[in-house]
Amino acid sequence: MKHYILGSLFLIFFSLQLSAQFKISGTISDSISKDKLVDATVTLHNNIHNLNTTANSNGEFVFNNVISGNYILDIDLVGYQRFSQRITVTAKDISLHILLSRNQSTLAAVNVFTTINGEQESGSRLREKNANNIVNVISAQAMQRSPDINAANVLQRMSGITLQKNSGADEAYAIVRGLEPRYNNTLINGVKITSPDEKSRFVSLDIVPSELLQKIEISKSLLPEMEGDAIGGTVNLVMKDAPDSMILHATASLGYSSIFFTRQYSYFSTKDIQQKSLTERLGNSYVAQPNDFSRSNLDFKEKTALPTGTAGITYGKRFLNNKLGVLVADNFQNQYFGTNSLLNQAVPDVHLAIPAISDVSDRTFSTQQLNDGLSLHADYNINKRNKIILNNLLLYSALQQSRLSIDTAILGGNGGRTVPGTGPVTTDYTSITSHELLENLKLEGRHILSKHLAVDWAGVYSLAYKRSPDRADLGLNKKIDTVHTTADKNGPYTFSVTPDYFDNITRIWQHNKDQDINGLANVTYKTTLKKFFVDIQAGGLYRHKTRYNLQDEYDLKPTTNTNGVKQVFTNINTAQWVVYNPAGTYTYDVNNYHAYEDISAGYGEVKLSSNKFDVFGGVRVEHTKQGFTINNFHPGSINGVNKNYTDVLPSIQLKYNLNSRMDIRGSYFKSISRPNYYELVPYNILNNSSANNEEGNPYLNHSVADNYDLRYEFFPGDEEQLFVGGFYKRIQNPIEYAYINGTTYQPVNLGTATVYGSEAVFTKYFGNVGITGNYTYIYSKIYSIKSYTDLQAQTTYDKLQKRPMQGETNNTVNVSLLYKNDKKKIFAQLAYQYLGRTLAEVYPIYGFDYYQKPQSFLSFSAEYNLSRRFTLFGKFNNILNTPTYYNINNLVVGKDVFYSNFQVGFRYSN
Amino acid sequence: MKAKQSFLLLLISSAVITFSACTKSNDNTSIITPTVPPSNPITAGNISGFVKGTLTTGNTYTITGDLTIKAGDTLASQQGVTVIVKTNAQINVQGVLLLVGTKDQPVSFNSDSNTPGSWGGFQCDSAQSVTIKWANIANTGGPDLAGDPRKSLIVGVPINVDIEDSWFSNGQDDLIRMQNGAKVTILRNTITSSGSTDGEAINLKKGVTGDVAYNVVYSQAGTGIKLETDDVVPFPQTNVNVYNNTLVSNGWRRGAAEPGRGVSVGLNAKANIYNNIMVDNYQGLEIFQDADTSNVHYGNNLFYASADTYSDTTVTPNISINLRSNFYPGDGVGKPQSTDLISTAVGDKDPMFVSFDGKIATPNGAPNANDFHLKTGSPALGAGNAAYSNDLGAYTSDATKSNQH
Repeated sequence: MKHYILGSLFLIFFSLQLSAQFKISGTISDSISKDKLVDATVTLHNNIHNLNTTANSNGEFVFNNVISGNYILDIDLVGYQRFSQRITVTAKDISLHILLSRNQSTLAAVNVFTTINGEQESGSRLREKNANNIVNVISAQAMQRSPDINAANVLQRMSGITLQKNSGADEAYAIVRGLEPRYNNTLINGVKITSPDEKSRFVSLDIVPSELLQKIEISKSLLPEMEGDAIGGTVNLVMKDAPDSMILHATASLGYSSIFFTRQYSYFSTKDIQQKSLTERLGNSYVAQPNDFSRSNLDFKEKTALPTGTAGITYGKRFLNNKLGVLVADNFQNQYFGTNSLLNQAVPDVHLAIPAISDVSDRTFSTQQLNDGLSLHADYNINKRNKIILNNLLLYSALQQSRLSIDTAILGGNGGRTVPGTGPVTTDYTSITSHELLENLKLEGRHILSKHLAVDWAGVYSLAYKRSPDRADLGLNKKIDTVHTTADKNGPYTFSVTPDYFDNITRIWQHNKDQDINGLANVTYKTTLKKFFVDIQAGGLYRHKTRYNLQDEYDLKPTTNTNGVKQVFTNINTAQWVVYNPAGTYTYDVNNYHAYEDISAGYGEVKLSSNKFDVFGGVRVEHTKQGFTINNFHPGSINGVNKNYTDVLPSIQLKYNLNSRMDIRGSYFKSISRPNYYELVPYNILNNSSANNEEGNPYLNHSVADNYDLRYEFFPGDEEQLFVGGFYKRIQNPIEYAYINGTTYQPVNLGTATVYGSEAVFTKYFGNVGITGNYTYIYSKIYSIKSYTDLQAQTTYDKLQKRPMQGETNNTVNVSLLYKNDKKKIFAQLAYQYLGRTLAEVYPIYGFDYYQKPQSFLSFSAEYNLSRRFTLFGKFNNILNTPTYYNINNLVVGKDVFYSNFQVGFRYSN
Repeated sequence: MKAKQSFLLLLISSAVITFSACTKSNDNTSIITPTVPPSNPITAGNISGFVKGTLTTGNTYTITGDLTIKAGDTLASQQGVTVIVKTNAQINVQGVLLLVGTKDQPVSFNSDSNTPGSWGGFQCDSAQSVTIKWANIANTGGPDLAGDPRKSLIVGVPINVDIEDSWFSNGQDDLIRMQNGAKVTILRNTITSSGSTDGEAINLKKGVTGDVAYNVVYSQAGTGIKLETDDVVPFPQTNVNVYNNTLVSNGWRRGAAEPGRGVSVGLNAKANIYNNIMVDNYQGLEIFQDADTSNVHYGNNLFYASADTYSDTTVTPNISINLRSNFYPGDGVGKPQSTDLISTAVGDKDPMFVSFDGKIATPNGAPNANDFHLKTGSPALGAGNAAYSNDLGAYTSDATKSNQH
């Protein structure tokens, strides 16, 4: 065997020698900045041969097997003067270093027609380096190789990003630099998307399959051309673009969540679920009857969970002499996962004014989530100066979830616990189905009008909705007491358990819709001024948004026995109920509202650049008109609000090139955050068992922040990087929830908050082994309204408590070990993540808050090229089965366990 | 040169934009409220909407839609007024509620359907004062238009609330709910057969102070009289004197998983609980661990069960509850007091009601044919804490203080 391989190598070597072939290679750089230039067309030709190639993402090109002779080497790149050189190939390989000069009579740096290969990780480095602002980029290649399958999981490995997860693990929102989702915005192909959430502006990124993405860009400083409502940062999901040559990729995998090795999957039938509520089907005057409500979706059965499956296909090609580019990608994911959690409610102990456990609750969730993402891209080059691009992204997500919660009261108005094992027990079964859809259609045009002037425009339609029909919740209760077996009250005892009583059923039909129409246009003017390149850009955006949420809730109460006592529950099929509110709540539900938001924005910006430094400055003006209407049956109270405000948002970005691989950036910008839609609605939700309530706040102001950034960047080589930076933010009118007078829980503006921190990012390869990672430190400070009890003076009053901002994680570390062996076609990655202490939720009383304990996660992914076209891959997540603990000081109040999950699959690539 | 000019132009225009637009620290907010018409003076017949004025003697009024009494306005009623409420309407009081009937000519509020939970009662969350004397209020509660359970009479502000000599019957959900510092005088009322499968008769929370005395509470779904402060705001404390009430057959309809009590004190509440008669309640007097136990004083209460056990034969398997073991429930910290009269057998310490059918669990809206006056020779007579009364229960030998019903 060994001899055979040696023999082959010898033969190859010999044949190369015989035909006298040589290698012509080179690197292409900008003559002034010395930046490596990618995607230049390189032609090596004479009257016999004509060889073509394209410079790679590191500005390199190579022609192998060049037969000796005289050639002309031509290099073409948009924005640069053509480079042409005679080359004589005689006896040896040739290596060239080529400098291209900017073509000052054309639109030098306009991105209009150039394409960087954004799918390669090295392209990400270039984007980071050449960006006008402070960005972090992750490429399709890095996402594909990572253990992650959706955008949310990918994001959490990026510098300065953590995820806010709901218990149940089905929703995930980005926290950028310790700032909650409300302070960040999410874009698709550069334009803000609508939210399928019924109350907030957020988009859960777990429904975005990462295989549709070309890259994710996190902008941590804003340019005037960008939308101004991001204080933490902007998450831009860039969809795949049409390739230069035909591609066909396909992928399929199977996996399993190991939680279902330990327990069964809880399942309910959806066959009887009515998609529309009674009021929607039968009108406002319909009187609901007990038989109008199905039973099968509250009939829970245990079964073995099916495996998780994913499948995807991507096809792209250019047609009509490369004038028309098309890319179609579809990705389908059908996942089964679960959570086991312990949630202990803590109420302030009235004797000590510190939190004490009032309830112990065990929760098990079983979830099936089906995602499908369909991305369509088409671009048409009308001529060299005019291009039309169409992008359409459709995301669909369906969820089916069973929740079981068993809650034992330790304290409280129903007796509480006397000895371990006793207490009132509430058992709650919930079945949830929901369908979410996000549709984003963008049509844009780019036009070069003259030597100096270019125009681009876009029209975007964005729609998001969610439908949750018949969310059904069944509550049962029982009580466990001790029975003393002797007359001695302190003596031995056994337990007595009452039957399960049928407490209540609620049925909620909910749907919401969020719709945007956007128009935007930019004018770019490029010229030179003495030694400087000058780019001037101005433009505007108009967005009209409408959204609503509608909910119809019915409460079912048990019929009583002849003696008036409520029914004992045996099973859902024999339970008998009356409809407590037969009219439903469609007309006056506290969650219902119609909202609008109109944004008009304009900006102007100027960039001066030379080989040593770039100065970028400008201002954006955003005018916001927003409001809502509600149906309020309380006579005379608020049933609508209109707000308007104008923000002037300056931005200055400085970049100083220490050399071609190193630079320093500084930036200042002002940005805003608008309140979530429902927060402004003066809803009032009364707590029936206490005297407290939750209320909206129509008087909320939007938040305004001053942001300062400094970053040092070093690009040692292909795919390698080192960034070190720091930032400082001062936020006026930050919005957080607080208890006012210890009674009303509502969103309020809390004075001024400050956030500062530092970030470091690095990637380094040592031969086949690489290490990549990032570290983020964040300190934030906000003064929160808390209820303070002075036990000596026997008074309770509101007092400001200094604390971190909600959602802040103080230390975040991501480290990945990469192994890349191109010969053996192996790539492997071991990813470690450390999340420090995180303020998860605010506790109403002074000095106490819910913190998530520090956690360490480990994931592993690997791929192996079986052949040129087929790759085998595996992704293994949460290998350590890391639990999430929630504490109030040392009091453990929650624990979530997800277990590990894995996937194994194939990828085909033409 | 041309470029220079353009650059300059842009700089200037940016500067203009910067200075012309003003950045306000507060958003320009306009609140939309429906126009509120002036309140109409009340005339006999159909009434609805914004009203003020007086319901006059001998007249019958029909409420056809929600009534609202604006802040500064008064809804008053003279004696002998009959009000019939249709369409599940409720009475919202932001001003003053003043219903004053007499023993011979009470004021009457009932729904047209005369079934439990068929009209909304008095929603006085932000009222300026509430006075109800000699009124007969029946069939209140049930859900409002937003689906939330309505209390028959709720006050959520620190005002004086006087409820005296009135009847409340066949309500649903909480009957009298007072919170947020209301100062209450709840004397000599009769509350019967209220709450479907939940709801307390007199539920006092979060800093309520005052007296609850000489009331009869019969067959309430949940607890007869419940006192709590609040866990987030433990001060000011709820502090109420609960004395000389007669509490019979309460706390059964929620089932064995959530027994109701005659009287309960929890969550940093203070109380004086004396001279009450508690008969056939699921549980008697419960002092929860989280009450302000050192400031809960109690004694001279009579506990009696008309049977050894209550067997609920409507459920399978049948549930049997030992009534006497629940006088001071095992999960509370309340202990029998030497001044208490605690029955040890059927017939022992029987308060000797003039008539009592001995029914233990009865449905919401069940008629009450019992007479809880005491027969001569009742052990409750003369057993009282004299600071309140010489006798126990709502009906005492001192006619000036005793329940008049």
